[in-house]
This record gives sequence, structure tokens and C-alpha cells, in this order.
Amino acid sequence: MVYMKIKLNYDFSSIIGFFIGVALSSILVIIFKENPADVLKVLSGSFLQSKFDLGLTLFYTTCFLFAGLAFSIPFKAGLFHIGSEGQIVISAMVAAIMGQTVFNFFGVVSAWQIAIGILSIVGISVLTGILAAQLIAVFKVFKQSHEVVVAIMLNFILTAFATYVVLHFYQNPESQNPESGLIHPAYQNFKSDFIKTFFDQSAVSSFLIVAVLTSIVVWFFENKTRWGLELKAYGENSSAAERMGISRAKINFLALGLAGTFSAFVGLTEVLGNSYQFKVGFSPSYGFLGIVVALLAQGHPIGMLVSAFIMAVLHKGASDLDLETQHLTRDFSKVLQSLIIFCVAGAYYINYRRKKS
Amino acid sequence: MTFEILMSLLFATVRMSLPILYASTGGFLSEKSGVPQIALEAYLLVGAFTAASVSYTSHSIILGFLSAGLVCVLFAQIFNYLILVLKANSIVVGTGLNLLAMGFIPIVSKLLFDSTGSTPSIESANLSHQSTFYIVTIITILMMCSMYWLSEKTTWGLQIKFAGEKSEALKSVGVSPVLRRWQAVSLAAFVTGLGGAILSNYLASSYSPLMSAGRGFIALAAVIFAGWSLRKTWIVVLFFGLTESLQIQIQNFDLGFKIPNEFVQMLPYGATLVALLVMKNKQLAPKEMGSVL
Repeated sequence: MVYMKIKLNYDFSSIIGFFIGVALSSILVIIFKENPADVLKVLSGSFLQSKFDLGLTLFYTTCFLFAGLAFSIPFKAGLFHIGSEGQIVISAMVAAIMGQTVFNFFGVVSAWQIAIGILSIVGISVLTGILAAQLIAVFKVFKQSHEVVVAIMLNFILTAFATYVVLHFYQNPESQNPESGLIHPAYQNFKSDFIKTFFDQSAVSSFLIVAVLTSIVVWFFENKTRWGLELKAYGENSSAAERMGISRAKINFLALGLAGTFSAFVGLTEVLGNSYQFKVGFSPSYGFLGIVVALLAQGHPIGMLVSAFIMAVLHKGASDLDLETQHLTRDFSKVLQSLIIFCVAGAYYINYRRKKS
Repeated sequence: MTFEILMSLLFATVRMSLPILYASTGGFLSEKSGVPQIALEAYLLVGAFTAASVSYTSHSIILGFLSAGLVCVLFAQIFNYLILVLKANSIVVGTGLNLLAMGFIPIVSKLLFDSTGSTPSIESANLSHQSTFYIVTIITILMMCSMYWLSEKTTWGLQIKFAGEKSEALKSVGVSPVLRRWQAVSLAAFVTGLGGAILSNYLASSYSPLMSAGRGFIALAAVIFAGWSLRKTWIVVLFFGLTESLQIQIQNFDLGFKIPNEFVQMLPYGATLVALLVMKNKQLAPKEMGSVL
């Protein structure tokens, strides 16, 4: 009986929506005179070509998972947080700069000095992400500004600021591209971690494990801790929650602080785990792709593991579309993503009608 | 000398604020009817692309403008269907619409012109810049007058506002709030599409990828910043146009010291944030914003 109840309460609408989205885009492919089976094969199969490709896909999975978490937690508190793009860029910039300077303070002779160095890079980068996110909360709490507007403005400002700092003070002298210098070799020890070696020095690193553990911790936080439940209660009905004594300021600062932390980890995954430097424009708008990931999983932290992987596969496959097909370009992945968003968002209607009747 | 600088600044301000003016008018209509609209960016892009390709093939600016508006209305029907019929969250769908515009345009562009980036330049299609200037002026004046009249002086405009403030009241007089929202969003898409056409046909001479450069978001910010009032929105738009034209002017002049390019680019966004901090914020948003009907 209990089993039946769980089964009935489970919400299939996003899965249904996903498949309708894929079907619709296949029709679109036919209109563009391509064979949908081929296109889907390229999109979904390219990550299996080699260990290296699989590693790249898992790297995207890591970034998407963090970005998805950065969106889903404020979403549960009733905030539409589209500011993680700016937070990702600014914390990656700080991580790259710290990686070039922090060894002056701690030294790189013994193992524990290196460990302290890396911890301080992580700490300060996360702190930057949190502070950048709290700016939104400050506007929201004290000026009642709409968080979407503030986040949009901050995205532009933080990205421009990061570009300015890197180009004018930390530009890599050996490169023509706009990028910072490499971080100190001692801090590049994610190069030799076991996941990276297993995947033939691909982009993936131990941050994958961190991301998976984080999503489990977030699940625990949301469902088993007082703060997490308060956060969800506030998102469900803010005025009722305030009557119950849940502070509006506290929820806003908490939700956006967590979002800033996860955004910072996207930047760290890139700087410490993949390129060891800050490249201007490194992010293929992770912040916005995170929204898709979170919506696809309906904000469930464990479900996001799956949806992040699906999105990563599509993202990786799209880069091969340029080569494999005649008319379609890599932009087709954006079309596919948007169709999936539409269908998942529309499929909530199934639920809506069920609740109504 | 100073007079010339001021005049060129004034002219540049008006020029640069045109696309934001259209987009913010569209955003105003949609937001007033209770539909949060973050897909303005998508309408601008679609309008710009349609106008550029139609003007290039048909050699007619007016046809380009018209088709930009109409294609945007068609495009907005995806949004309308999902929001009003399937009751989806409008911010989610708006995000999707922005993605769709960004992904779909390069594919269509490759199919039509065999280039993923920009469309061919309209200049090659024998259109004088002077006539474009007159057409843009006339369309802008017509748009401003008719939109102001529609939203502030007619029953229809009042009903749009009621759809956002209190839809029950609208129902009680026998008008469907869903219908009013549908009309408002479609009109918003039309107007914003015209803004996109100005972007590609007047401010530039072809469509280049992502040429709206966040103007849709700026327009939305202008609407919210002005407290959902049409007249104030237009004033705020002029302010954004001023910061944008200052950007260009500062780069041209030698001020004795150098302001880094990145900081100049930040100007409109930073100004918005400062203004949000300084301004007295009242809760002016339509009461039933984003509500499910």
C-alpha cells in the first residue's frame, strides 16, 4: 500500500516533457533535411568515442551539477537566481590570481604547505562567490529590488570587471589570447589525480566526486535540517512563513549564499581542475545551462545528477554536429535545450490538472 | 566646439535609445498585463534577423519592419500557448525562448545565406540611409503616440492593467483576462520586433550574431526601474541611451586620463544598480504578476 502511494506521487511529467521535446526537435531536424536518427546518434553517442571524450562529458557534468544546484536552492526559496554566471566568472578570476600569488605567503616546499595553499585558494574563491551573491540579497532585502534585474546587472558588471583585472594586471605574457598566466605548478596537482589519469588527462577531475557528494549533502540539507525546511516553507508561502517567525532576510541571505558557494565551485572546477588559468569567456553560459538542469530534475538534488549528465552529453555532442552534418550547426543544441525546457514546463500542466480536479 | 559635442551627444543618445525604447514599451505592455517578460531579448534578435534578411531580399525597408513585427508575433505564440493554455511559469518559458532564438537564428541563417554568422549587408541592396532615417522617425513617432493612447486613454488599456492588477474584476464585467494577456503579449512582441528591425536596419546595416547585446534585459530593467509607468519608462530609456552614447564619446575623446574600456562598458549597468540603491522603492509591481489564471 505504501509502495503504491509512493509510486502514484512520483511525478513523471518532466520525463514525459523531455521525450516530447526530443521528438519535436527530431521533427525540426527533418524540416532541415537531415536524418533525425543520425543527428540524435551524433548528439548522444559522441561521448562514447573515447575515454577522453567521456572525461570531457563528465567535466561538463560537474560544472552543470554545481550550476544547477546554484539555481535550484534559491528557486526553492522563491528566488529566480540568474546571477550565477557573474559569480562563476568572478570567483574563477580570483582563484586564478590566488593561484599565482598565494605561494609567496605559504611556500611550496612541503606537502602541507601546498595543501594550505590550495585550501586558501578554494576558501577565498568561495568567499568571493558568496559575497557576489550576497550583493543580490542586499538589494532584495533592503531595497525590495527585483532579484532578476539586480542579477542581470551584476552579471554584466562582474564579467567586465574580471576581464579588466585579468587583461590589465595578470595577462599571460606568452599568449595572444585574453587569459591569465598559469597558476603555480605546485597547485596543479589535480593533473595527477586518479580520475584524470583514468580518463587519459581529460578535463574531468576529482571535482566530480565533490559535486556528487555536494548534491547528496544538499538533499540532506533540504529535507532533514531545520534551515532547509524553513527555506522551502518560505518559498511555498512567504507570508505564512513570516508569520511563523521565519526571517525574510535570513532566508534570502542563506539561499543566495549557498548559490554563491556552488557558483564558485564551477569556477574552481575550471581553474584548479581543467585549464589552470582564467580564460576570458571560458564559460559557455554555465549559469543559464544550470537553470535547464535544475528545471529538468524539478530541483531534486539527486535527480540533477541524471539531468546534468544528459545535458552534458548533449552539450558535448553538439560540438560534433558542425563536422558530421551539412545544415545543422552546434547551435542546434540550444534549440534542443529550449524545446526540452518548453515541454518540461508545459508538462507541469498534467500535474496542475490533477491537483485541480 | 562644445555645442557640436553636445549636439552629437544628444543625437547619439536618441539613436542608441531607440531599440531599448521599443523593447521597453513591449515589456511595459506585457508586464502590465501580469506576464513577467524576460524574452524581450529573443524578440529583438528575431526581429533584427527577420528585418535584415527581408530587407536584403525584397529591397524594401518598410517590408522589413513589417515582417519583423509579424514574425515576432508568430514567435510569441509559443510563449502565449505555454503560459496561457498550459499554465507554465513565464520566467522559465522566457529563458527557453531566449535560448531558442539564439540557437535557431544561426541555423536558419545557414540555410538561407550559407553563413552561420551575419546576414549579407543591406547596403548592397541599394537603399539610401536618408530614407531609412525618415522611415524610422515616422514609425517611432507613430509607435509612441499609438502606444501611449492605447495603454493610457482607452478602455482596452485599462482592461490590460486590470488583467495584471485584479483579474477577478475583469471577469465580473465579462472580459476574459486570458484574452487580454494574449493580446498584450502579442502586441508587445510586435513592438519589440520593430525595435529589433531598427537594430539591424538603422543602427547597423546587417544582422550580426547576438547583436542585441543584452538590450532586452536593459529594457526590462527600465520598466521595473520606472515603477511600471510608461512615461517614466521612456525617460529611463533616454538615460540608458545617454550612458551608451557616452561610452562611444568617451572612447573618441582624449580626456587627459584614460578610462579602461571595461569600466566604460559597465556604465549603464552600474548606473542602474546605483539608482536602485538611491531610489525609494515602493511596491509598484502589478499585483497579480505571474499569477495563473
